[in-house]
Amino acid sequence: MDRSPDGQMSRPALSVQQSSISNLKSGWSTFWAMVRKELILIARYPVNFVASFGQVFLIVAIFSLGGKTFSVNLNNAGNGSQAGIGNPSGVVIYGFMLFMFLSDTLWTIGYNVRHEQVQGTLEQLYLSPASKFASLISRVANTLLWTGLLTLAASGLMVVMIGHLPFENPGLGLYLLVMSLAGTFGVGFAFAALTLRIRETAQTMANLLQFALLILCANFFPFSALPPFLRNFSRLIPLAYNVDAFRSTLMGYPPGFPELAPIQLEIVIVTLFGILMPILGYYLYRLAEDHARRSGSLSSF
Amino acid sequence: MDIRVPSLRSNSSVLIASMRMRLMTISRYPGQLVLDIIIPIVFAAMPILLGRATSGANAGVIFAQNTGTSNYVAYMLIGSSVFTIVSFAFWHIAYWLRWEQETGTLEALYLSPTARIWVVAGTALYSCLRSLFSALAAYLLGSFILGVKPFEGEVGLAFLFILSGLVPLYGLTLLFGAVVLKVKEANALINLMQWGVSFLMGIFFPIAVFPPLLRTLALLFPPTWMTNGVRAALLGVGYFFQEWYLDLAVLWAFLLVAPLFGYWVFANVETSVRRNEGVGQF
Repeated sequence: MDRSPDGQMSRPALSVQQSSISNLKSGWSTFWAMVRKELILIARYPVNFVASFGQVFLIVAIFSLGGKTFSVNLNNAGNGSQAGIGNPSGVVIYGFMLFMFLSDTLWTIGYNVRHEQVQGTLEQLYLSPASKFASLISRVANTLLWTGLLTLAASGLMVVMIGHLPFENPGLGLYLLVMSLAGTFGVGFAFAALTLRIRETAQTMANLLQFALLILCANFFPFSALPPFLRNFSRLIPLAYNVDAFRSTLMGYPPGFPELAPIQLEIVIVTLFGILMPILGYYLYRLAEDHARRSGSLSSF
Repeated sequence: MDIRVPSLRSNSSVLIASMRMRLMTISRYPGQLVLDIIIPIVFAAMPILLGRATSGANAGVIFAQNTGTSNYVAYMLIGSSVFTIVSFAFWHIAYWLRWEQETGTLEALYLSPTARIWVVAGTALYSCLRSLFSALAAYLLGSFILGVKPFEGEVGLAFLFILSGLVPLYGLTLLFGAVVLKVKEANALINLMQWGVSFLMGIFFPIAVFPPLLRTLALLFPPTWMTNGVRAALLGVGYFFQEWYLDLAVLWAFLLVAPLFGYWVFANVETSVRRNEGVGQF
């Protein structure tokens, strides 16, 4: 650090330090303002708030009861099965948790950019001197809070409907969850970039992507249920390793789990995905944003 | 002043124009049409794959003990195809209303010298065509992919159940349109409603698993009779009243009551909204 002979910081160094503190402060302030804005929006639509909870409960109930038609006695909760994987609660519930975050990330981070574009507020946001990074990250914060609450509530219901939930290796499980979420948010940033480029097609794309990943990442069933050629596609998707590693770890590695690769390799893949995907996603977003600003398409839709 | 009542010809012309406009719009989004067909197959694949994984080779036998048929693939595909018809009905009618409200064209529509019922009927006709096409294509493609014969049993009777169920279903959407007009938060409500109805109609399971009160509530929904009718006709799972004509008679009773009740509620809410804040406010 540059210091004057009497040990004091030199004026340019002091100015740089003050400037970075001020940037950090204003970034935090933008972030907090955006988070608050989103929370206020949620609070203004109480029916929406309650309905989204109800909707998740209904989806869970529908798929749980659908799965239970393959149980020996449909009216007994948590009964085992015959020749397959036994009680599927671990497979379904842990897979469902990651699916909830992935789905919300695609819509909340990715598609919300499009929503702002349609409303005409995206261009205004770019005209303001506020941090764009903070604006993007604020969407993540709300997803974490809101989807986290929904996931916990829905998982509780699933436990009641499907049966006992195995819970082993919580420390490693938490690490894998954090890395998976980081990677998922990276996918969200990349999808936001794609949204800026393809505009109206983004809604269809988000739907398609969501359903394709639902099958290929086997969130609601084990990978062994997939036909072999589809399983090969699954092996090409890092998110599939997230699902496999997360649920296998929390289930205590029962026979046949993890299904795609040895757990050590899966942990490496999940870690790399969690570190690199947000960086790549944000880089792609900045590229798309730059292109949109140069071509003047921020407000066109 | 002489007020002329619009002729049937002019009303039909409104109906056709409304339907054509929507068909033209959706033809611009072929990707969406493809997705309409893929989504029901993916939905049905979830419980099918889970069932195969949990029950192994006995999946069909266990499924038959619970539902009355071992053809679980067709059972799930029928459920998800009827789900498509139900959810399209809710989205296309209730969300159309909200969309017109948001874009500011709903008030303009009220100012035009056309009865809204014909515009709604045109939208409903478009919705029927789109949903029937998607549901049928999804059922056929899903059966082909998952390796089952799509048409076994009474195919004509299955179609009769679907066609008879469409009218009361769209009657229900009018009821729901009234709620959207009043409450305004359409997205969340439609999502909730489509899943609520899907749950009650037993999209992937027989409604016999419900407790008595919930089962009674489920039987008050026309889609429940529609789904079971199609399953019973194609897969022989059994009718609620043992005979097909009795179940169909119930659906016909809904056919008469639901549209009239839906329209009555909608008209009342519409009048109340117009007298207060107006339909343009959202």
